[in-house]
Amino acid sequence: MLLKAFARQQRCIFLDFHRTRLVLPILILKLFSLVCRRSGRAVAVLLAVALGACGRSDDSQITVYRIPKEAQAESTSLPAGESTASPIEVHWTAPSDWQEQSASGFRKGSFLVRAPDGKTADVSVISFPKAAGGVLANVNRWRNQLKLTPISTEAEAGTPTEVEGHDMFFVDLVSDQPITADGTKTRVLGGILPLAQETWFFKMLGPDQLVESHREAFKQFLGSVHIAERATTDAAAPVSGSLSTNGSGNTNAPTPPPIEPSQGAPLQYTLPPDWQEKPLSPMRLASFKAVASNGKEADVSVVSLPGMAGGDLANVNRWRGQVNLAPIGEDALAKTARHVQANGHDFLVVDLVSDAPMGDQHEKQRILAAVLDENDRSWFIKMTGEDAAVESQRSAFTNFLQSLKLP
Amino acid sequence: MSTAATTSSNLLRTPFRALASLQLTVVCLGLGMLLVFLGTLAQVHLGIHAVQARYFQSLFVFWSPPGMSWKIPILPGGYLLGVILFVNLIAAHATRFQFSRKKLGIILLHFGVILLLIGQLLTGLFARETQMRIDEGQTLAYSEAPREVELVVIDSTAPDYDQIVSIPEAVLAREGPIQNPTLPFTIKVRQFMPNSRLVMRSQAPQAPPSTATVGIGKQVVVSEEPRTVRDEERDLSAAFIELEGLQGSLGTWLVSNALLDRQSFELNGHTYSLVMRPRRFYKQFALTLLHFAHDRYAGTDIPKNFSSRVRLVDLERNENREVIISMNDPLRYRGFTFYQAGFDNNDKTTILQVVKNPAMLLPYIACGLVALGLLTQFSMHLFAFVRKQPR
Repeated sequence: MLLKAFARQQRCIFLDFHRTRLVLPILILKLFSLVCRRSGRAVAVLLAVALGACGRSDDSQITVYRIPKEAQAESTSLPAGESTASPIEVHWTAPSDWQEQSASGFRKGSFLVRAPDGKTADVSVISFPKAAGGVLANVNRWRNQLKLTPISTEAEAGTPTEVEGHDMFFVDLVSDQPITADGTKTRVLGGILPLAQETWFFKMLGPDQLVESHREAFKQFLGSVHIAERATTDAAAPVSGSLSTNGSGNTNAPTPPPIEPSQGAPLQYTLPPDWQEKPLSPMRLASFKAVASNGKEADVSVVSLPGMAGGDLANVNRWRGQVNLAPIGEDALAKTARHVQANGHDFLVVDLVSDAPMGDQHEKQRILAAVLDENDRSWFIKMTGEDAAVESQRSAFTNFLQSLKLP
Repeated sequence: MSTAATTSSNLLRTPFRALASLQLTVVCLGLGMLLVFLGTLAQVHLGIHAVQARYFQSLFVFWSPPGMSWKIPILPGGYLLGVILFVNLIAAHATRFQFSRKKLGIILLHFGVILLLIGQLLTGLFARETQMRIDEGQTLAYSEAPREVELVVIDSTAPDYDQIVSIPEAVLAREGPIQNPTLPFTIKVRQFMPNSRLVMRSQAPQAPPSTATVGIGKQVVVSEEPRTVRDEERDLSAAFIELEGLQGSLGTWLVSNALLDRQSFELNGHTYSLVMRPRRFYKQFALTLLHFAHDRYAGTDIPKNFSSRVRLVDLERNENREVIISMNDPLRYRGFTFYQAGFDNNDKTTILQVVKNPAMLLPYIACGLVALGLLTQFSMHLFAFVRKQPR
């Protein structure tokens, strides 16, 4: 009786899941049901249960489900007053012809501006903790999206305005050439509002003409920004954000906040065009990968240590060891090193190339490094990589030094 | 049993004996050792995840001659060996089984081994390891499979919920038409690339025109890449999908987990969005990261302890409490185990490993049974020996 029911079940498995991996076990099972004595049947049933379970893998099943709208789900599931979010709230009023979009990811507000001809511009409101790298780094990030060259001073970045006693930075950028498929230039209007614990970014991005025609509306929008203390009984509404690697194919995707050191004021710099920020390690205050035109990468690090950190000579000799060069003395160092003046700092710069190819790739290795001893701290800015890659990034390295503002 | 069945059962006795033979056990164990050895070597080129799938969680290990598309099985895979060993053990008991008190230890021991084999099979089939990445202050009700993507079609028409159709990678990889009764169109997967490289068209002006006719895909050049085998790297999957409604094609989109924004369109008054993302597994509860702590030994950068203070909210079960998850102190809830696995973003983001293994207890029970069996068998021999000694 049991066996009959069991045989039916087998057939079900067989019909429901045309899976080759089940055929063999089922054949073995049939063999069992013919041969086994009563003692073996119990075990055979056990086997059947195990095999029956095999068919229920969900790896190739399409599923349909409903979830609460993401922003809503977040606010309802968080108990009142339990948020670790900042104690202030930022409000704004958008012009009535802007279409409100659901805020998602990093966005705290999102609007769509439509032109009569169907073109659209995107308005986003984003906040990042602390200084988020500073005004300059963020303006340069936007400039990069428009394929504009980076700038090095805040004065070029935009014009300061005031919102409720806070400095807001107004930015107006337009691309030199068309960068979208429809052949029009792209314009960015932006407002950067640094507050005590976070920085807010208001941005309109879209076709030049459309954004231009909404300039006044955007300025009014910035003017409507209102900062309030968060009431403690208020249910917090934190913003969801699924972190994802930043796709290269999306100019509009919010970038994760730029580097900030864990202590002291943030490091400010201009990111050279071929450089990308890398995750920080405990020692590094900033970390980049510089991509040379041949696709090879060089690693750039900014490290700061208290005191003299062993002195210049010891560090230079340590680096010489890394590229298989013999140590040198003070005199030789004074002769080979050059000095670079940047922002009132005097960097000692050494450029070390290995005599012979080394490493996995059998290429000459090179270290280009700048050292600065100032105010009881030592600073090391170092680029490591294959000779050709470092060579192609030499001017970018110097530009980076010029742009670097040490706290 | 009928006469016919009796005859066939006699016919089958001989191969059945072979199935129960000890030689088969030895051959299987030998092949198992060979499999482990070759699988370990293959990790150099394939990486641990591919080797697990091809060598151990498979019926056969296939090899295709260089440049050929067909493949031949060269070794039995882990599942096949496990099943044969399992059947061998049961067959041996079925043919020679006689219950006696003397053999109680042996029976317990073998039952333990059988349970261990079943447990391993169930773990291989059902255990799922996913990850939750939560920023401080963020609430998440789902975990993600780090090495698997899904294509989701989100219908965000309703004001209070999103209806999501999730199509896992395995279905996309078949590159066939996909239909779902909740969708008014057929999804035709034109090309699926498990790993790919996306470049803006402006940076590769000489590239051939895109397959995509709608959305961001027109501005992107995609090239297929071999799947990554390195543990610290992730694939960037991409697919060209064409949607076909009743009135014909709606266009071809490029979807990829490298593209962050949803690509939306409207059809029959509904708003649909297409997203490719790491495969999500929604839970009936949500976790909020209140604080992530990264303690270091005083004066050094050497990590001492990582812990996440989270709030667990389960409306269904009326749970609302704070939990601390630290390195050796996971949270177990509703069949899931949350381990502290990592951190990111300057200690502002925690990474939890979420493990669901319905067969988690089986190995413990199996080992207990084996130990009990050994103990019974040895003590029975010991008592018999002691009793035989002249006093």
